[in-house]
Amino acid sequence: MAAPSAAGLGRRLRAWLPRLTQVRWSRYNPSFLEPEVNKELYQKPWEELSEEEKEKMELKAVRPIKAAPPNVSSSVFSDPVISKFTNMMMKNGNKVLARSLMAQTLEAIKRKQLEKYHKAPEDQKEAIECNPYIIFHQALKNCQPIIGLSNITKGGKTYQVPVPLKDNRKRFLAMKWLITECRENKNRRMLMPEKLSQELLQAFNNEGPIIKKKHVLHKMAEANRAYAHFRWW
Amino acid sequence: EIQWGEDGRPFHFLFYTGKQSYYSLMHETYEKVLNVQKHQDQLTDQDQPSQKEKKNLAGSRWLTKIELEEMLLEKLSDNDYLRFIQLLQKLVTLPCGDIEEKYIQKFSKEVPAQLQKVVIEPLKYNEQGVAFSTGEGMRKTARATAVVYDNGTGKVTVNGIDIVHYFPVLQDREQLLFPFQFLDRVGKHDMVCTVSGGGRSAQAGAIRLASAKALRSFVTEKEVEFMRQAGLLTVDPRVKERKKPGQEGARRKFTWKKR
Repeated sequence: MAAPSAAGLGRRLRAWLPRLTQVRWSRYNPSFLEPEVNKELYQKPWEELSEEEKEKMELKAVRPIKAAPPNVSSSVFSDPVISKFTNMMMKNGNKVLARSLMAQTLEAIKRKQLEKYHKAPEDQKEAIECNPYIIFHQALKNCQPIIGLSNITKGGKTYQVPVPLKDNRKRFLAMKWLITECRENKNRRMLMPEKLSQELLQAFNNEGPIIKKKHVLHKMAEANRAYAHFRWW
Repeated sequence: EIQWGEDGRPFHFLFYTGKQSYYSLMHETYEKVLNVQKHQDQLTDQDQPSQKEKKNLAGSRWLTKIELEEMLLEKLSDNDYLRFIQLLQKLVTLPCGDIEEKYIQKFSKEVPAQLQKVVIEPLKYNEQGVAFSTGEGMRKTARATAVVYDNGTGKVTVNGIDIVHYFPVLQDREQLLFPFQFLDRVGKHDMVCTVSGGGRSAQAGAIRLASAKALRSFVTEKEVEFMRQAGLLTVDPRVKERKKPGQEGARRKFTWKKR
């Protein structure tokens, strides 16, 4: 197996890496910290930071920091949620196509909302949300399930046990449902951006097939409430 | 070094464990932990608030496994070392851990923050009097050199070609502009770079590192520290993992057939 080699000055000063490769290892030494790209955090004066943040800043001053990945940038246009969604939409490593589809989706959402805005009467104009990023975030939040089901085998039989989900898992499920829904349930001629924008607008208004799927999952969890005590974690 | 007496009986009571100094060290440390807990209980019995003076962990590190081996004159395994470090961390995080500070100081070393002090080169001036500075960057197999000129319009040239034609993908151009956008100097500098090797994304990352290094000479020390904490000045060590024999790729195994 290839032995991991530590990046950094002076091998003796860092922790010695084990001779055998672990299954999950990274080219960075474990003492490297994650980079912080947000410009505003650096422009805050020293007094405004809370205690925790001060400790974190002191730690960062001493420890080395990993390089920023290529998806991330300090400009206003880069968003971690959007990057995650683009990566999930990507097929066979074709990031160019995934990114252009995402851009076309956001443009389609903006166009549809602008149409609605221009047609609406004066008093309803303020209620219409035109920012596609806000619509995307709100739609994802509306799609996230609160509890999930997990298969637990007890006494030979497998039961579906309701289980609380972590934040990452909720986000992943919402995004996965959106993408599978758009890939399968569309007409022959409809392109992905159009279908995605339709689904996102529907999810933003709490309607549509994905919200239905979330409600079905919640109902199943409610029905299997009796097995909730099977969970041991 | 003979560790048993004339009658064959060993001196140390933990001799037959094989790693006598390691286990005696673990026993001592655990004794300190119990002491600290007892002290804490006494304080709560007398209704006194527990002291919360936090030691600054940022400037110190624990001994490495090799240094610990030298101290104990015995071979250790990775698990042993990890357990010892976990015990020490538990001792430090307890509220009254300051009593045992002397004991802890034996096993911690100062990491001087000046280890990573890199010399920032001064600005050079070319024939027209315009200030410029150079930087080199690498990412995977790509190697790049960048020359950043002052008093510019924000034009960027790569290998003699404009970036709009050399990098048709938006993500690469975002990466090139990242250091400038971070320092709020988007339209103020001109850049001329040369890059070779690697693929599209690797070349963009290499130029980003080179331009960040070049911008260090234009900027105050505080902003250099901010750039480092944003991850702009570290070389990305991730490279393609080698393919192993008996597997189809670096991680992918051959299709498992039951028979």
